[in-house]
Amino acid sequence: MTRRDFSERDIHMALDGELPVDERVAYDAWLDANPEMKARSARYVADRAALRAAFAGVLDEPVPARLQKIVFGEAPVKTVPLGSRWWLPAAAAAMLAIGGVGGYFAGIDHLGLEDPAEDQLVEQAIAAHVIYAAEQRHAVEVPASDKDHLQTWLSNRVGLKLVAPDLAAQGFQLVGGRLLPAGESKAAMLLYEDDKGERISLFVTAESAEKAKGTYGSEENGPEAVYWLDKGYSCAVVGSLPRAQLTAVAKSAYSQLLAGLAS
Amino acid sequence: MDEKKAAILGEIPRLRRYARSLLRDRDSADDLVQDCLERALVRLDNWQTGESPRRWLFTIMHHLFIDQMRKVNRRGEAAMLPLEASEAQAAPAEQVESIASREIIDALQAMSPDRRAALVMVAIEGFSYAEAATILGVPAGTLMSRIARGRDELRGLLDDAARRRAIRIVEK
Repeated sequence: MTRRDFSERDIHMALDGELPVDERVAYDAWLDANPEMKARSARYVADRAALRAAFAGVLDEPVPARLQKIVFGEAPVKTVPLGSRWWLPAAAAAMLAIGGVGGYFAGIDHLGLEDPAEDQLVEQAIAAHVIYAAEQRHAVEVPASDKDHLQTWLSNRVGLKLVAPDLAAQGFQLVGGRLLPAGESKAAMLLYEDDKGERISLFVTAESAEKAKGTYGSEENGPEAVYWLDKGYSCAVVGSLPRAQLTAVAKSAYSQLLAGLAS
Repeated sequence: MDEKKAAILGEIPRLRRYARSLLRDRDSADDLVQDCLERALVRLDNWQTGESPRRWLFTIMHHLFIDQMRKVNRRGEAAMLPLEASEAQAAPAEQVESIASREIIDALQAMSPDRRAALVMVAIEGFSYAEAATILGVPAGTLMSRIARGRDELRGLLDDAARRRAIRIVEK
Protein backbone atom coordinates (compact mmCIF):
# COMPACT_ATOMS: atom_id res chain seq x y z
CA MET A 1 0.00 0.00 0.00
CA THR A 2 1.33 3.39 -0.94
CA ARG A 3 1.05 5.96 1.78
CA ARG A 4 0.94 9.43 0.43
CA ASP A 5 1.53 12.61 2.36
CA PHE A 6 -1.57 14.59 3.17
CA SER A 7 -1.79 18.35 3.26
CA GLU A 8 -4.27 21.06 4.01
CA ARG A 9 -5.70 20.57 0.57
CA ASP A 10 -6.94 17.17 1.69
CA ILE A 11 -8.89 18.76 4.51
CA HIS A 12 -11.01 20.53 1.92
CA MET A 13 -11.36 17.42 -0.17
CA ALA A 14 -12.39 15.34 2.83
CA LEU A 15 -14.86 17.99 3.90
CA ASP A 16 -16.37 18.18 0.43
CA GLY A 17 -16.60 14.42 -0.04
CA GLU A 18 -13.91 14.40 -2.69
CA LEU A 19 -11.34 12.28 -0.90
CA PRO A 20 -11.18 8.77 -2.38
CA VAL A 21 -12.74 6.25 -0.04
CA ASP A 22 -9.58 4.13 0.14
CA GLU A 23 -7.58 7.11 1.43
CA ARG A 24 -9.99 7.91 4.17
CA VAL A 25 -8.43 5.74 6.89
CA ALA A 26 -4.94 7.05 6.22
CA TYR A 27 -6.27 10.60 6.17
CA ASP A 28 -7.95 10.18 9.55
CA ALA A 29 -4.72 8.82 10.97
CA TRP A 30 -2.82 11.80 9.57
CA LEU A 31 -5.36 14.15 11.10
CA ASP A 32 -5.04 12.48 14.50
CA ALA A 33 -1.28 12.84 14.31
CA ASN A 34 -1.50 16.58 13.46
CA PRO A 35 -3.49 18.45 16.11
CA GLU A 36 -3.12 21.72 14.24
CA MET A 37 -4.62 20.24 11.09
CA LYS A 38 -7.29 18.52 13.11
CA ALA A 39 -8.27 21.82 14.69
CA ARG A 40 -8.31 23.45 11.25
CA SER A 41 -10.61 20.73 9.98
CA ALA A 42 -12.94 21.07 12.95
CA ARG A 43 -13.11 24.81 12.42
CA TYR A 44 -14.01 24.41 8.76
CA VAL A 45 -16.71 21.92 9.70
CA ALA A 46 -18.14 24.44 12.17
CA ASP A 47 -17.99 27.29 9.63
CA ARG A 48 -19.75 25.16 7.09
CA ALA A 49 -22.50 24.34 9.57
CA ALA A 50 -22.91 28.06 10.26
CA LEU A 51 -23.00 28.83 6.53
CA ARG A 52 -25.70 26.26 5.95
CA ALA A 53 -27.68 27.40 8.96
CA ALA A 54 -27.61 31.02 7.80
CA PHE A 55 -29.38 30.12 4.56
CA ALA A 56 -31.39 27.09 5.62
CA GLY A 57 -34.55 29.11 6.09
CA VAL A 58 -34.64 30.20 2.46
CA LEU A 59 -35.75 26.76 1.28
CA ASP A 60 -38.83 26.96 3.51
CA GLU A 61 -39.92 30.39 2.31
CA PRO A 62 -42.89 30.43 -0.02
CA VAL A 63 -41.78 31.00 -3.61
CA PRO A 64 -42.71 34.58 -4.61
CA ALA A 65 -45.60 34.67 -7.04
CA ARG A 66 -43.62 36.74 -9.52
CA LEU A 67 -41.15 33.88 -9.94
CA GLN A 68 -43.84 31.24 -10.38
CA LYS A 69 -45.60 33.38 -12.92
CA ILE A 70 -42.57 33.39 -15.17
CA VAL A 71 -42.49 29.62 -15.31
CA PHE A 72 -46.21 29.52 -15.98
CA GLY A 73 -45.60 31.87 -18.88
CA GLU A 74 -47.36 34.89 -17.50
CA ALA A 75 -45.96 38.38 -17.95
CA PRO A 76 -43.50 39.10 -15.17
CA VAL A 77 -43.54 42.21 -13.07
CA LYS A 78 -40.24 43.93 -13.65
CA THR A 79 -38.31 45.48 -10.88
CA VAL A 80 -36.30 48.54 -11.64
CA PRO A 81 -32.54 48.76 -11.97
CA LEU A 82 -30.90 51.13 -9.56
CA GLY A 83 -28.96 54.15 -10.61
CA SER A 84 -30.86 55.09 -13.71
CA ARG A 85 -33.90 56.36 -11.84
CA TRP A 86 -33.87 59.57 -9.88
CA TRP A 87 -36.80 58.59 -7.75
CA LEU A 88 -35.64 55.23 -6.56
CA PRO A 89 -34.61 56.08 -2.99
CA ALA A 90 -37.66 58.26 -2.49
CA ALA A 91 -39.96 55.67 -3.97
CA ALA A 92 -38.44 52.93 -1.86
CA ALA A 93 -38.88 55.05 1.23
CA ALA A 94 -42.44 55.85 0.28
CA MET A 95 -43.20 52.20 -0.22
CA LEU A 96 -41.72 51.23 3.08
CA ALA A 97 -43.86 53.88 4.70
CA ILE A 98 -46.95 52.62 2.92
CA GLY A 99 -46.02 49.01 3.55
CA GLY A 100 -47.19 45.98 1.70
CA VAL A 101 -45.62 46.88 -1.59
CA GLY A 102 -42.08 47.19 -0.28
CA GLY A 103 -39.62 45.49 -2.52
CA TYR A 104 -41.37 46.55 -5.66
CA PHE A 105 -38.47 48.73 -6.69
CA ALA A 106 -35.86 47.41 -4.35
CA GLY A 107 -33.52 45.82 -6.87
CA ILE A 108 -29.98 47.02 -6.41
CA ASP A 109 -28.73 45.50 -9.56
CA HIS A 110 -28.47 45.92 -13.27
CA LEU A 111 -29.59 42.57 -14.53
CA GLY A 112 -30.40 41.61 -18.05
CA LEU A 113 -31.39 43.97 -20.77
CA GLU A 114 -32.48 47.56 -20.57
CA ASP A 115 -36.18 47.89 -20.00
CA PRO A 116 -38.14 48.81 -23.03
CA ALA A 117 -39.40 52.38 -23.20
CA GLU A 118 -42.87 51.42 -22.09
CA ASP A 119 -41.61 49.80 -18.90
CA GLN A 120 -39.62 52.91 -18.09
CA LEU A 121 -42.62 55.11 -18.66
CA VAL A 122 -44.98 53.14 -16.45
CA GLU A 123 -42.42 52.56 -13.74
CA GLN A 124 -41.75 56.28 -13.53
CA ALA A 125 -45.46 57.01 -13.62
CA ILE A 126 -46.23 54.52 -10.87
CA ALA A 127 -43.36 55.76 -8.70
CA ALA A 128 -44.56 59.35 -9.06
CA HIS A 129 -48.09 58.29 -8.23
CA VAL A 130 -46.98 56.37 -5.15
CA ILE A 131 -45.08 59.36 -3.85
CA TYR A 132 -47.35 62.27 -4.67
CA ALA A 133 -50.84 60.80 -4.55
CA ALA A 134 -50.15 60.00 -0.89
CA GLU A 135 -49.33 63.66 -0.13
CA GLN A 136 -52.21 65.62 1.30
CA ARG A 137 -50.89 69.17 1.36
CA HIS A 138 -48.08 68.94 -1.17
CA ALA A 139 -49.47 66.61 -3.78
CA VAL A 140 -49.22 69.22 -6.54
CA GLU A 141 -47.12 72.26 -7.36
CA VAL A 142 -49.84 74.15 -9.14
CA PRO A 143 -53.44 73.65 -7.95
CA ALA A 144 -56.46 73.20 -10.20
CA SER A 145 -57.66 76.68 -9.23
CA ASP A 146 -54.81 77.95 -11.40
CA LYS A 147 -55.61 75.58 -14.27
CA ASP A 148 -54.76 77.89 -17.15
CA HIS A 149 -51.34 78.63 -15.77
CA LEU A 150 -50.83 74.93 -14.98
CA GLN A 151 -51.56 73.93 -18.58
CA THR A 152 -49.41 76.64 -20.12
CA TRP A 153 -46.51 76.02 -17.79
CA LEU A 154 -46.50 72.23 -18.21
CA SER A 155 -47.00 72.49 -21.96
CA ASN A 156 -43.96 74.74 -22.24
CA ARG A 157 -41.79 72.60 -20.03
CA VAL A 158 -42.73 69.22 -21.44
CA GLY A 159 -42.86 70.43 -25.00
CA LEU A 160 -46.33 69.47 -26.16
CA LYS A 161 -49.72 71.08 -25.98
CA LEU A 162 -51.21 69.74 -22.80
CA VAL A 163 -54.89 70.15 -22.02
CA ALA A 164 -55.92 68.69 -18.67
CA PRO A 165 -58.73 66.24 -19.46
CA ASP A 166 -62.12 66.74 -17.85
CA LEU A 167 -62.83 63.50 -16.00
CA ALA A 168 -65.95 64.66 -14.15
CA ALA A 169 -68.05 62.11 -16.01
CA GLN A 170 -65.92 59.41 -14.39
CA GLY A 171 -66.23 61.13 -11.01
CA PHE A 172 -62.78 62.68 -10.88
CA GLN A 173 -61.85 66.32 -10.37
CA LEU A 174 -58.49 67.84 -11.17
CA VAL A 175 -56.40 68.51 -8.04
CA GLY A 176 -53.48 70.07 -9.90
CA GLY A 177 -50.19 69.12 -11.44
CA ARG A 178 -46.44 69.10 -11.19
CA LEU A 179 -43.35 68.86 -13.34
CA LEU A 180 -41.12 65.79 -12.97
CA PRO A 181 -37.96 64.46 -14.52
CA ALA A 182 -38.47 61.46 -16.80
CA GLY A 183 -35.25 59.84 -17.93
CA GLU A 184 -33.45 62.47 -19.97
CA SER A 185 -36.50 64.66 -20.36
CA LYS A 186 -39.47 66.01 -18.40
CA ALA A 187 -42.89 64.75 -17.55
CA ALA A 188 -46.14 66.41 -16.56
CA MET A 189 -48.11 64.80 -13.78
CA LEU A 190 -51.77 65.65 -13.39
CA LEU A 191 -53.50 64.50 -10.24
CA TYR A 192 -57.25 63.82 -9.96
CA GLU A 193 -59.43 62.91 -7.02
CA ASP A 194 -62.96 61.57 -6.61
CA ASP A 195 -65.40 62.47 -3.83
CA LYS A 196 -64.15 59.55 -1.72
CA GLY A 197 -60.59 60.83 -1.88
CA GLU A 198 -59.43 58.13 -4.31
CA ARG A 199 -56.68 59.54 -6.51
CA ILE A 200 -55.45 58.80 -9.99
CA SER A 201 -52.68 60.46 -11.91
CA LEU A 202 -51.81 61.11 -15.54
CA PHE A 203 -48.17 61.04 -16.46
CA VAL A 204 -47.32 62.59 -19.81
CA THR A 205 -43.98 62.93 -21.57
CA ALA A 206 -43.05 64.20 -25.00
CA GLU A 207 -40.45 61.48 -25.44
CA SER A 208 -41.36 58.42 -27.41
CA ALA A 209 -40.20 56.88 -30.63
CA GLU A 210 -42.37 53.82 -30.58
CA LYS A 211 -45.99 52.82 -30.57
CA ALA A 212 -47.22 50.63 -27.76
CA LYS A 213 -50.06 50.33 -25.32
CA GLY A 214 -51.03 48.13 -22.46
CA THR A 215 -51.68 47.78 -18.80
CA TYR A 216 -49.11 47.25 -16.10
CA GLY A 217 -49.85 45.90 -12.67
CA SER A 218 -47.66 45.68 -9.67
CA GLU A 219 -47.40 42.76 -7.34
CA GLU A 220 -49.88 42.56 -4.54
CA ASN A 221 -51.89 45.72 -3.96
CA GLY A 222 -49.87 48.41 -5.72
CA PRO A 223 -51.39 50.79 -8.24
CA GLU A 224 -51.90 49.80 -11.86
CA ALA A 225 -51.17 51.76 -14.99
CA VAL A 226 -52.87 51.94 -18.36
CA TYR A 227 -50.50 53.45 -20.90
CA TRP A 228 -49.96 54.47 -24.48
CA LEU A 229 -46.87 55.40 -26.36
CA ASP A 230 -47.07 57.03 -29.72
CA LYS A 231 -44.77 59.04 -31.92
CA GLY A 232 -43.75 62.09 -29.94
CA TYR A 233 -45.59 61.52 -26.71
CA SER A 234 -46.48 58.94 -24.12
CA CYS A 235 -49.07 58.80 -21.39
CA ALA A 236 -49.79 56.57 -18.41
CA VAL A 237 -52.87 56.69 -16.22
CA VAL A 238 -52.12 55.31 -12.76
CA GLY A 239 -54.43 54.40 -9.93
CA SER A 240 -55.63 51.69 -7.61
CA LEU A 241 -59.07 51.45 -9.18
CA PRO A 242 -60.64 48.23 -10.43
CA ARG A 243 -59.17 47.50 -13.86
CA ALA A 244 -62.41 48.21 -15.77
CA GLN A 245 -62.87 51.57 -14.07
CA LEU A 246 -59.25 52.56 -14.61
CA THR A 247 -59.51 51.62 -18.27
CA ALA A 248 -62.68 53.71 -18.66
CA VAL A 249 -60.99 56.72 -17.06
CA ALA A 250 -57.92 56.18 -19.20
CA LYS A 251 -59.93 56.02 -22.43
CA SER A 252 -61.61 59.29 -21.65
CA ALA A 253 -58.31 60.91 -20.70
CA TYR A 254 -56.65 59.57 -23.84
CA SER A 255 -59.19 60.93 -26.28
CA GLN A 256 -59.18 64.32 -24.57
CA LEU A 257 -55.38 64.47 -24.48
CA LEU A 258 -55.23 63.62 -28.16
CA ALA A 259 -57.80 66.26 -28.96
CA GLY A 260 -55.81 68.73 -26.87
CA LEU A 261 -52.58 67.90 -28.66
CA ALA A 262 -54.22 68.52 -32.01
CA SER A 263 -55.95 71.73 -30.94
CA MET B 1 -47.78 21.93 -17.46
CA ASP B 2 -44.98 20.06 -19.16
CA GLU B 3 -42.25 18.18 -17.35
CA LYS B 4 -39.55 20.72 -18.06
CA LYS B 5 -41.49 23.53 -16.48
CA ALA B 6 -42.36 21.36 -13.48
CA ALA B 7 -38.67 20.57 -13.03
CA ILE B 8 -37.76 24.27 -13.24
CA LEU B 9 -40.42 25.16 -10.72
CA GLY B 10 -39.01 22.59 -8.33
CA GLU B 11 -35.58 24.20 -8.48
CA ILE B 12 -36.72 27.70 -7.52
CA PRO B 13 -36.15 27.28 -3.76
CA ARG B 14 -32.56 26.16 -4.38
CA LEU B 15 -31.96 28.97 -6.86
CA ARG B 16 -33.27 31.46 -4.34
CA ARG B 17 -30.98 30.13 -1.64
CA TYR B 18 -27.96 30.35 -3.92
CA ALA B 19 -28.91 33.86 -5.04
CA ARG B 20 -29.38 34.96 -1.45
CA SER B 21 -25.92 33.79 -0.52
CA LEU B 22 -24.50 35.68 -3.49
CA LEU B 23 -26.44 38.91 -3.09
CA ARG B 24 -27.61 39.30 0.51
CA ASP B 25 -30.50 41.67 -0.32
CA ARG B 26 -33.61 39.58 -0.67
CA ASP B 27 -35.19 41.49 -3.51
CA SER B 28 -31.99 41.70 -5.50
CA ALA B 29 -31.56 37.97 -5.03
CA ASP B 30 -35.07 37.30 -6.30
CA ASP B 31 -34.42 39.63 -9.22
CA LEU B 32 -31.45 37.47 -10.09
CA VAL B 33 -33.60 34.34 -9.91
CA GLN B 34 -36.24 36.07 -12.02
CA ASP B 35 -33.71 36.92 -14.72
CA CYS B 36 -32.43 33.37 -14.58
CA LEU B 37 -35.92 31.93 -15.04
CA GLU B 38 -36.70 34.31 -17.87
CA ARG B 39 -33.54 33.36 -19.67
CA ALA B 40 -34.12 29.67 -19.00
CA LEU B 41 -37.60 29.73 -20.49
CA VAL B 42 -36.39 31.47 -23.61
CA ARG B 43 -33.74 28.80 -23.97
CA LEU B 44 -35.77 25.73 -23.05
CA ASP B 45 -34.68 24.11 -26.30
CA ASN B 46 -31.02 24.33 -25.28
CA TRP B 47 -31.72 22.15 -22.31
CA GLN B 48 -30.49 18.70 -23.25
CA THR B 49 -32.60 15.79 -22.17
CA GLY B 50 -30.83 14.02 -19.37
CA GLU B 51 -29.02 17.12 -18.19
CA SER B 52 -29.84 17.91 -14.60
CA PRO B 53 -32.20 20.88 -14.40
CA ARG B 54 -30.33 22.05 -11.33
CA ARG B 55 -26.99 22.20 -13.08
CA TRP B 56 -28.47 23.87 -16.13
CA LEU B 57 -30.27 26.54 -14.12
CA PHE B 58 -27.34 27.19 -11.80
CA THR B 59 -25.11 27.68 -14.83
CA ILE B 60 -27.48 30.26 -16.29
CA MET B 61 -27.77 32.07 -12.99
CA HIS B 62 -24.05 32.07 -12.38
CA HIS B 63 -23.42 33.73 -15.76
CA LEU B 64 -25.97 36.41 -14.94
CA PHE B 65 -24.38 36.97 -11.55
CA ILE B 66 -20.87 37.29 -12.93
CA ASP B 67 -22.03 39.66 -15.68
CA GLN B 68 -23.64 41.79 -13.06
CA MET B 69 -20.56 41.79 -10.84
CA ARG B 70 -18.47 42.98 -13.79
CA LYS B 71 -20.87 45.84 -14.36
CA VAL B 72 -20.81 46.71 -10.68
CA ASN B 73 -17.04 46.72 -10.73
CA ARG B 74 -17.03 49.12 -13.64
CA ARG B 75 -19.31 51.41 -11.69
CA GLY B 76 -17.21 51.18 -8.55
CA GLU B 77 -17.17 49.05 -5.47
CA ALA B 78 -19.39 51.37 -3.45
CA ALA B 79 -22.46 49.86 -5.04
CA MET B 80 -21.57 46.50 -3.56
CA LEU B 81 -21.02 47.48 0.04
CA PRO B 82 -23.23 45.44 2.32
CA LEU B 83 -25.79 47.14 4.45
CA GLU B 84 -24.55 48.14 7.83
CA ALA B 85 -26.39 46.58 10.70
CA SER B 86 -28.09 49.86 11.54
CA GLU B 87 -29.50 50.19 8.03
CA ALA B 88 -30.58 46.59 8.03
CA GLN B 89 -32.99 47.40 10.82
CA ALA B 90 -35.23 48.99 8.23
CA ALA B 91 -35.72 45.53 6.76
CA PRO B 92 -38.92 43.62 7.48
CA ALA B 93 -38.88 41.52 10.63
CA GLU B 94 -38.65 38.26 8.71
CA GLN B 95 -35.27 39.35 7.40
CA VAL B 96 -33.81 40.01 10.78
CA GLU B 97 -31.01 37.52 11.24
CA SER B 98 -29.33 36.14 14.28
CA ILE B 99 -25.96 37.67 15.07
CA ALA B 100 -24.21 34.54 13.90
CA SER B 101 -26.08 34.50 10.62
CA ARG B 102 -25.49 38.17 10.05
CA GLU B 103 -21.78 37.78 10.62
CA ILE B 104 -21.64 34.87 8.21
CA ILE B 105 -23.61 36.78 5.60
CA ASP B 106 -21.50 39.91 6.02
CA ALA B 107 -18.35 37.84 5.73
CA LEU B 108 -19.57 36.18 2.53
CA GLN B 109 -20.33 39.57 1.04
CA ALA B 110 -16.84 40.77 1.88
CA MET B 111 -15.29 37.98 -0.17
CA SER B 112 -14.64 38.27 -3.89
CA PRO B 113 -17.62 37.11 -5.96
CA ASP B 114 -15.57 34.29 -7.49
CA ARG B 115 -14.56 32.81 -4.16
CA ARG B 116 -18.00 33.36 -2.71
CA ALA B 117 -19.66 31.50 -5.56
CA ALA B 118 -17.19 28.60 -5.45
CA LEU B 119 -17.48 28.13 -1.71
CA VAL B 120 -21.26 28.40 -1.61
CA MET B 121 -21.67 26.08 -4.55
CA VAL B 122 -19.82 23.29 -2.76
CA ALA B 123 -20.36 23.99 0.95
CA ILE B 124 -24.04 24.96 0.88
CA GLU B 125 -25.42 23.69 -2.39
CA GLY B 126 -23.55 20.41 -2.19
CA PHE B 127 -22.25 20.21 -5.74
CA SER B 128 -19.25 18.00 -6.40
CA TYR B 129 -16.02 19.68 -7.48
CA ALA B 130 -16.60 18.44 -11.02
CA GLU B 131 -20.14 19.82 -11.14
CA ALA B 132 -19.19 23.12 -9.56
CA ALA B 133 -16.24 23.57 -11.92
CA THR B 134 -18.52 22.97 -14.90
CA ILE B 135 -21.16 25.38 -13.65
CA LEU B 136 -18.61 28.09 -12.87
CA GLY B 137 -16.75 27.42 -16.11
CA VAL B 138 -13.32 27.06 -14.48
CA PRO B 139 -10.79 24.19 -14.31
CA ALA B 140 -11.06 21.91 -11.27
CA GLY B 141 -7.73 23.22 -9.94
CA THR B 142 -8.99 26.79 -10.01
CA LEU B 143 -12.15 25.75 -8.24
CA MET B 144 -10.18 23.96 -5.54
CA SER B 145 -7.94 26.90 -4.87
CA ARG B 146 -10.94 29.23 -4.71
CA ILE B 147 -12.56 26.94 -2.16
CA ALA B 148 -9.40 26.64 -0.07
CA ARG B 149 -8.75 30.39 -0.12
CA GLY B 150 -12.42 31.10 0.38
CA ARG B 151 -12.59 28.97 3.53
CA ASP B 152 -9.43 30.55 4.85
CA GLU B 153 -10.71 34.05 4.16
CA LEU B 154 -14.11 33.29 5.67
CA ARG B 155 -12.43 32.03 8.82
CA GLY B 156 -10.41 35.23 9.12
CA LEU B 157 -13.45 37.43 8.51
CA LEU B 158 -15.49 35.56 11.11
CA ASP B 159 -12.67 35.88 13.62
CA ASP B 160 -12.53 39.63 12.97
CA ALA B 161 -16.26 39.92 13.47
CA ALA B 162 -16.12 37.96 16.73
CA ARG B 163 -13.29 40.19 17.94
CA ARG B 164 -15.24 43.35 17.15
CA ARG B 165 -18.26 41.92 18.91
CA ALA B 166 -16.15 41.13 21.99
CA ILE B 167 -14.76 44.68 22.02
CA ARG B 168 -18.24 46.15 21.83
CA ILE B 169 -19.38 44.02 24.74
CA VAL B 170 -16.38 45.07 26.81
CA GLU B 171 -17.06 48.75 26.04
CA LYS B 172 -20.60 48.48 27.37
